[in-house]
Amino acid sequence: MSQLRLSPRWIAIGLLAFVIVFVPNPIAFAAPAEPHFRIEASSFQYTPEAISVNPGDHVTIDLVSTDVVHGLYIDGYDLNVTADPGQTATLSFIADQSGTFRLRCSVTCGALHPFMIGKFNVGSNDRLWRAIGLGVLAVIAGIWVIRR
Amino acid sequence: MKAERFALLFVIVIVIGVPLAAIVARSNSGAIEIHGQMADNGGWTPSDLTAQVGVPLPLRLTSDDVVHGFAVGHSTEPALDVLPGQWTMTTLIFNRPGKYTFYCTRWCGANHWRMRGTIEVTGDTTTTITTPPPLYVTLNLDLDAPHPSEVVPGEKPSATRGAALGVKIDRVVEATQSPAQVWQQMRSASITQGLSDDQVWDLVALTWRSNTTPERLAEGQQLYAQNCAACHGETGKGDGVIAPSLKKTPMPDMTMTGHETVAPIDFTDAQDMLGASGAILEGKIIRGGMGTGMPYWGPIFTTEQIQAVADYLWTFQFAK
Amino acid sequence: MTPIELTRNPIVKATLRNRWPQFVVRVIALAGFLFAILSGFIGTPVGNHNFSIVFVWIVWWALLMLIAVPLLGRGWCAVCPIPMPGEWLQNGALLKPRGKGVGLNRKWPKRFRNIWLQNIAFTLLALFSAVVLTRPSVTGLVLLLFLIVALITSLIFERRAFCRYLCPVGGFIGLYSQAAPVEVRVKDPAVCAVHTEKSCYTGSADGYGCPWLIYPGTLTKNINCGLCMECLRTCTQDNVAFNLRSFGADLKQPSGHKLDEAFKAFIMLGAALIYSAVMLGPWGALKSAAYSIGTPQWLVYALTLLGLIYVILPGTFLLTVALGRTLTKSKESLKKSFSAFATALIPLGLMAWIAFSLSFVFASLSYLWPTLSDPLGAGWNLFGTAHAAWQPYFMSIVPFLQAGVLIGGLLWACVTARRIAAEKQQGRGITLQALPVMGFCFIITAGLLGLLIG
Repeated sequence: MSQLRLSPRWIAIGLLAFVIVFVPNPIAFAAPAEPHFRIEASSFQYTPEAISVNPGDHVTIDLVSTDVVHGLYIDGYDLNVTADPGQTATLSFIADQSGTFRLRCSVTCGALHPFMIGKFNVGSNDRLWRAIGLGVLAVIAGIWVIRR
Repeated sequence: MKAERFALLFVIVIVIGVPLAAIVARSNSGAIEIHGQMADNGGWTPSDLTAQVGVPLPLRLTSDDVVHGFAVGHSTEPALDVLPGQWTMTTLIFNRPGKYTFYCTRWCGANHWRMRGTIEVTGDTTTTITTPPPLYVTLNLDLDAPHPSEVVPGEKPSATRGAALGVKIDRVVEATQSPAQVWQQMRSASITQGLSDDQVWDLVALTWRSNTTPERLAEGQQLYAQNCAACHGETGKGDGVIAPSLKKTPMPDMTMTGHETVAPIDFTDAQDMLGASGAILEGKIIRGGMGTGMPYWGPIFTTEQIQAVADYLWTFQFAK
Repeated sequence: MTPIELTRNPIVKATLRNRWPQFVVRVIALAGFLFAILSGFIGTPVGNHNFSIVFVWIVWWALLMLIAVPLLGRGWCAVCPIPMPGEWLQNGALLKPRGKGVGLNRKWPKRFRNIWLQNIAFTLLALFSAVVLTRPSVTGLVLLLFLIVALITSLIFERRAFCRYLCPVGGFIGLYSQAAPVEVRVKDPAVCAVHTEKSCYTGSADGYGCPWLIYPGTLTKNINCGLCMECLRTCTQDNVAFNLRSFGADLKQPSGHKLDEAFKAFIMLGAALIYSAVMLGPWGALKSAAYSIGTPQWLVYALTLLGLIYVILPGTFLLTVALGRTLTKSKESLKKSFSAFATALIPLGLMAWIAFSLSFVFASLSYLWPTLSDPLGAGWNLFGTAHAAWQPYFMSIVPFLQAGVLIGGLLWACVTARRIAAEKQQGRGITLQALPVMGFCFIITAGLLGLLIG
């Protein structure tokens, strides 16, 4: 049975975890721009499969369905648009949340519809890097802290 | 023992009863069940229906794959969405006998336009209205003959510029006249002597624009967006999203065996368009492409709707 | 933490010993199971409006992977309807033993008394998963096959041989049940030692001998115990208890040496990685390859899956274990070390599958509403929700949950690796032997993080 004592190592790990999670992102991004993307939707893929913008950008996405009716939903932003082939649909919004968000098809378009996924990157994927940092910390904690 | 018997009863009721109830409940109401699938997978099933004049025809429609739509040709009823896994109910009533075509109204692949079915309506034939055959039939026009224009404008002709010229012209266009022909007539008229070639084109644009109304153009634009843009492109250039999947074969001569498909026409191509008359445009829309992959819209759209689309097609050549 | 005996509470004890609650739940589950098969065959082919797809791969899977397995280990096995018809025939009764049953009751062949057949069954499902998870008729077929195979197995072999040696689901939830905070154990082994009848294994008038072919008297790990509670009912000495315990208690025991269980861990990790890339990634070509069974692209997918699961992951792990052995000049056989350290992959895999499941469960959960009102996609509207629109839930917080779960799993795996190393080494040797394995776990975690929240 392992016992967790409040040893200096434990405190150090805790502090490091705090820093990894909360330290502000030092990367400075360019001034907000107005990127315009054309995303083609086919069964079951968005092309391009990932788009990247800077935080604060005024983003315009033209959804062009190339075979059947598809939709585009953005996680986190809760925005949705549907396009028939031949009728481009446009989504326009400010990228005020940073991180990586999944794009999902919101109109049933065939068997693999629930897995029709794309990516929308705003700024850097903080969450991923902090998580990996915590992963390294977890390995250190596994070695250091837990005693029999 | 009693517990065992009760348990058995419980099992029978739940395990057999639930699925049985489902099977029984599934037997439907008497409406005709129609399943829609992309044309390559079967299209409408069933696709041939019969009905009688004045007798309501209840239908239940569902899609087994992607978003489809349902409408009956030459009908004023709005199109209904037929959604995957969901059911749409409608009841059709026909006042006149004849063969009606129902079709899919939401693009569902390259063969979307082939997703059609027929409803054979029988009844008192004295109420049948015969529609006159289209102009290209009565005039025996060859829709497939090439019609290049000998003269093309330097820039896109504008009806507003044409109106500003203050020249009095006959603004009525006959369906058999192409813009190129009208341009020739105007060019050789004395009243246009001082004008440049392009300015005469502006007068042609003015003429064409005067022969339609904003309402017809709006209707034409909507019909184009829903039915034509997928192949012909939202900007009319023949570069629609479906176009790449249409096989392109060279067209050295016009002998078609019915199996080739070609690239959709570029409506912004001045040489090709300006040599065509309204009758030819409308005729192609009605008859389709004889194997080129261009759908035949005759059974689907009324004469007025086809004229509205043709009116809109001219806007790719003639600006406001 | 010493286990807390829940059956000390008379209500808990009475409920677990009474056959009716479990029976009722199982029968309802069986009805649902049969309905899912029916729905697969006669319902709409559109997966997200069909009971079979939505209630099996979204609802049941969510309950299984997010609640049942982490908290109740093999709890699902306790209420699983698949073996029920076979059990009824074998026992000749629905409830208490009545004497005569139907079936040959053969002993399970010795060479298959491991989880290799379950490993193969799960691998087969994985190869066809893109189609199984999206086509109702295929789900219906798979479920029907389960039912038929379980039935036939019950008529030939003794007890719940299907559950113990064939069921692919049981394969992985058995493995992960070792991490769960509940267990069935005897209270005092000394009591068992002097009890000659061993009614927990041979059966009595009150209940059947352990259907899972376990002798409860020496049960120390959850992996094969299906929580069916028969031993609670048959023990004449009231010596069996249902306990609440700390998470991963089984992982703290001297590590096992079983290769089949080690490979199960690789199968689960490999499947999690492949699914995260193919099904949840943005690359449509991979999905099409996984879906188009029989084409050259699918063959590439299949070979990649098999290669990753049976060659690359175990091979890399073998190298890390070998490295640890070399660094510490360990005298233990490579095979023993390999199997022992594979135990660390159990918490890693459990958390990996929870994180993976979070990705699609909440995105697709809203399909529950239309399917509830119209399970066959036949146009019904039982509860008025047949036209409820799709709406993903909690998408803003799911990535945080996934990260938390994956990091937690990594920490747990590292702690487990260290504990295993401490069985074999002293002082610095512990770190030297465990570190390469921890590195392996870190790379897997980083890969999953990249695929799921990257």
